[in-house]
Amino acid sequence: MVIRERAGKSEDAVQGVVPRLVLEPATVEEATAAVARCASDRLAVVFVGGGTDLGLGARPFRLDAVIRTGALSRLVDHAPADQVVTAEAGMTLAALGEALARQRQRLALDAPLPGRATVGGVVAANAFGPRRTRFGGARDLVLGVSLVRADGVAAKGGGKVVKNVAGFDLPRLMVGSLGTLALLTTVTFRVHPLPETEVTVLFPGLEPDQVRSLAAAWRAAQLEPGSAAAVFSSDRLDLGLRLEGFQAGVDDQVARLLDLGRRSGLPGERLGAAEGAAFWRRHDAVREQGSLRVKIASTPSHLGDLARAWLPPILGELSPAGAVVYPTLGIAFASGEPASGAGLAAGLRAARVAVTAAGGSLVVCEAPPAIRPAFDPWGPPPPSIDLMRALKERFDPERRLASGRFVGGI
Amino acid sequence: MNGRASVSELAGRMAAVVGARNCFSEGPDLLTYECDGLTHGRTRPDLVVLPGSTEEVAEVVRLARAAGRPIVPRGSGTGLSGGARPVPGSVVVALSRMRRILEVNLEDGWVRVEPGVINLDVTKHVSPAGYYYAPDPSSQSICSIGGNVAFNSGGAHCLKYGFTVNHVLGARVVLHDGKVVDIGGPALDVPGHDLLAALVGSEGMVGIVTEVTLRLLRKPETTRTFFATFPSTDEGGEAVSRIIAAGILPAAIEMMDRLAIVAAKAATGLDWPDVGAALLMDADGPTAEVEDLSERAVKIAREAGALELRLPRSEAERQLMWKGRKSAFAAVGRISPNYMVEDGVIPRSEIASVLREIEGMAKERGLRVANVFHAGDGNLHPLVLYDARETGQEERAEHLGGEILRMCVRRGGSITGEHGVGSEKAAYMADMFGDDDLDTMKRVRAAFDPDCCFNPGKVFPSSRLCGEKPGPGGVEHPAVKSGEVYRW
Ligand SMILES: Cc1cc2nc3c(=O)[nH]c(=O)nc-3n(C[C@H](O)[C@H](O)[C@H](O)COP(=O)(O)OP(=O)(O)OC[C@H]3O[C@@H](n4cnc5c(N)ncnc54)[C@H](O)[C@@H]3O)c2cc1C
Repeated sequence: MVIRERAGKSEDAVQGVVPRLVLEPATVEEATAAVARCASDRLAVVFVGGGTDLGLGARPFRLDAVIRTGALSRLVDHAPADQVVTAEAGMTLAALGEALARQRQRLALDAPLPGRATVGGVVAANAFGPRRTRFGGARDLVLGVSLVRADGVAAKGGGKVVKNVAGFDLPRLMVGSLGTLALLTTVTFRVHPLPETEVTVLFPGLEPDQVRSLAAAWRAAQLEPGSAAAVFSSDRLDLGLRLEGFQAGVDDQVARLLDLGRRSGLPGERLGAAEGAAFWRRHDAVREQGSLRVKIASTPSHLGDLARAWLPPILGELSPAGAVVYPTLGIAFASGEPASGAGLAAGLRAARVAVTAAGGSLVVCEAPPAIRPAFDPWGPPPPSIDLMRALKERFDPERRLASGRFVGGI
Repeated sequence: MNGRASVSELAGRMAAVVGARNCFSEGPDLLTYECDGLTHGRTRPDLVVLPGSTEEVAEVVRLARAAGRPIVPRGSGTGLSGGARPVPGSVVVALSRMRRILEVNLEDGWVRVEPGVINLDVTKHVSPAGYYYAPDPSSQSICSIGGNVAFNSGGAHCLKYGFTVNHVLGARVVLHDGKVVDIGGPALDVPGHDLLAALVGSEGMVGIVTEVTLRLLRKPETTRTFFATFPSTDEGGEAVSRIIAAGILPAAIEMMDRLAIVAAKAATGLDWPDVGAALLMDADGPTAEVEDLSERAVKIAREAGALELRLPRSEAERQLMWKGRKSAFAAVGRISPNYMVEDGVIPRSEIASVLREIEGMAKERGLRVANVFHAGDGNLHPLVLYDARETGQEERAEHLGGEILRMCVRRGGSITGEHGVGSEKAAYMADMFGDDDLDTMKRVRAAFDPDCCFNPGKVFPSSRLCGEKPGPGGVEHPAVKSGEVYRW
């Protein structure tokens, strides 16, 4: 077995740190051997998929090698009748989506940059998009994984059926672990049927309280939008609700939503296919733009604080500046180009203090190098940090995987 | 370790913490704690303690640890895999006194409860406001949230709504050293490792859960149910496959075979026909959508060869149909003196052929198997019928149950969909997972509980260090003592 390898170049850098060695395994066996080699040579290693979320986490404390999963991109198995798919970790979301669409199915995990983001990376970074509203995030869709531990040992967890509680839940433990515990080599997901139709309803220019009361109204009316996302625009929120499913049910929910809006004095608009697509492109652009991206996770009832107190000091330091809010998840992303480093760091710090005090978290997902040293991307570690350290100790006692990149310096 | 305290010394210390009434080492009450819902394996614990608060749990754990005693957490004791079965010399910590619902937040959709709260009581508590807690094990009127968390329990409606793990937002846990730690929280995506993933489904092996924050859902606007009969499970299985392939996600889709139908009829007096298979499906959600979906599903069922289709005309009639399904387990007692419940999973597209294989396996051994199952997700509950008075039958039944689980694994499925591994199925874990897989799981456990003081002897096939952890006062494995190996 000869694993493709080469010397690291500047484009392989992880937050400015260039690895000496780049390994590009093309099979699961090669990937296992690549990690084993790093183990025997005691190399500090970072796993890279599409590189779309490499800004997440701190600068590596040590970095000798990068293992790129891009060549590990096969569809392993798709069982349409069982609505289960297994893909190698380096397969992109877009490629997987195409394969599934041929059987009129999809993975309901709509993370940004699907043309580059890989399934392994999306799981490791816990990336997600607006469909999390209804379908949940990676942890709600992942069924099984195969992985390679820091010591080069390959293992698997979970399974290939939608229901399974045998043993410790390794697949979900990998979600959001950012390559600190193991290299993912294959991932098995639950998939869903492609909906017959989708319609987006837009409620433009809402105040945060209006978004909350509209959400309360559609909950009271027992409506179930599949996606709910608001794009921040000059101090107001443009709220897009996407309904998906069979025509009859979608039409009915759309009509009822518009009716709810009218009765609260909030006129909405049923968007045509092209306008609907344009709204979601606008959403995507905000999620993907800029050299600064920040995620704020709180609870839905804090929407007012989020829009009025937490986001403004950050957005005020960015130009262009944008934000997307998922009102039912209590999560927002702010993004843009920083004007001055000093003001931004202060704005982020102020926002973090307030968010943390309210029981939430503020995480920097991407930042220009000038800002990085002034700001811890993760913020204060959660109370369970000792358990996380213990977990790391059991999986990677030499601290070679994504060294120092994670919460609390893990 | 401070050397081994005698049971009475330890009982005295525990009583000082939880009160004498909530701590016992003898008497008829102890009998209850010798087993869980799986009653044929019994072990007497040395001590049973019922703490009333997180602080008491922490103190109880410290005392038990100091006395070198294994700790077995316990909820309502309804588990079906021996997960709460004591080990010799153990202290059972039962959470049944911790039954308070602590806080509700409907706008953010969560409720914080103590672990002894009964599953159904969560829904009852928020139901007047139009909310509910989705995971609905058939045992929901008796099982505890702590047990649900430990077993990642599911129910008929988890095809659409997911299992316990999809509905737990946060937890407070007492660790092996008596430290109390909060994991997760009402806000999503707490930075760091997803420790809830390690906790939920860990079968009492990582610590004692003393508070849980659960996700609440708004009740669906409408639920439509239909009942369909088929000549055999072939047509029934085909109907399920076609419904799913048509892009319909039922809230629940349950199937029973001939023997299970006979039993359910005998127990409930329902006027169900004698047929080879019966299907019960729920669709729920906004009214227009649900009506459309259930019409489509009914049409598909007819095309797949349904003999008869019944739509309940009232909520009472709907409840009755579900009662037939829910009582099917116990009802089997009407047609057989004894039975064993298995819990295997297969890819749902293979239901019909797997059922035929099970029938063949049963015939070979001169036994009967009734099947009640969650057809939408391929979770089978074969009920192996036997007569314990006839020598050898119980062993044959046990053997058949094991063979069925192995077959599930061969078909690409799992040895458990919801009842957990416990002590009962630990031996089958090796059929599903290799040594390296199990070793990796043990590392997760060891991060929480390095000495395996919580619920030893469960999940992992014995023969490893932790599996072999000796009882109280036992000697350390030499490799551990020398520092060569750490326990996991
Ligand atoms: C008639 C019947 C029907 C059933 N139907 C279903 C079903 O549809 N779906 C399903 O999933 N299960 C079902 N079960 C199984 C059982 O009810 C579930 O596994 C349930 O979650 C167990 O809860 P319990 O409170 O009884 O826990 P116990 O049986 O007391 O304990 C279960 C496990 O949890 C651990 N534990 C309990 N409390 C805690 C705590 N606070 N902290 C840490 N660990 C703890 C125990 O150590 C043990 O390992 C059924 C059981 C019966 C008897």
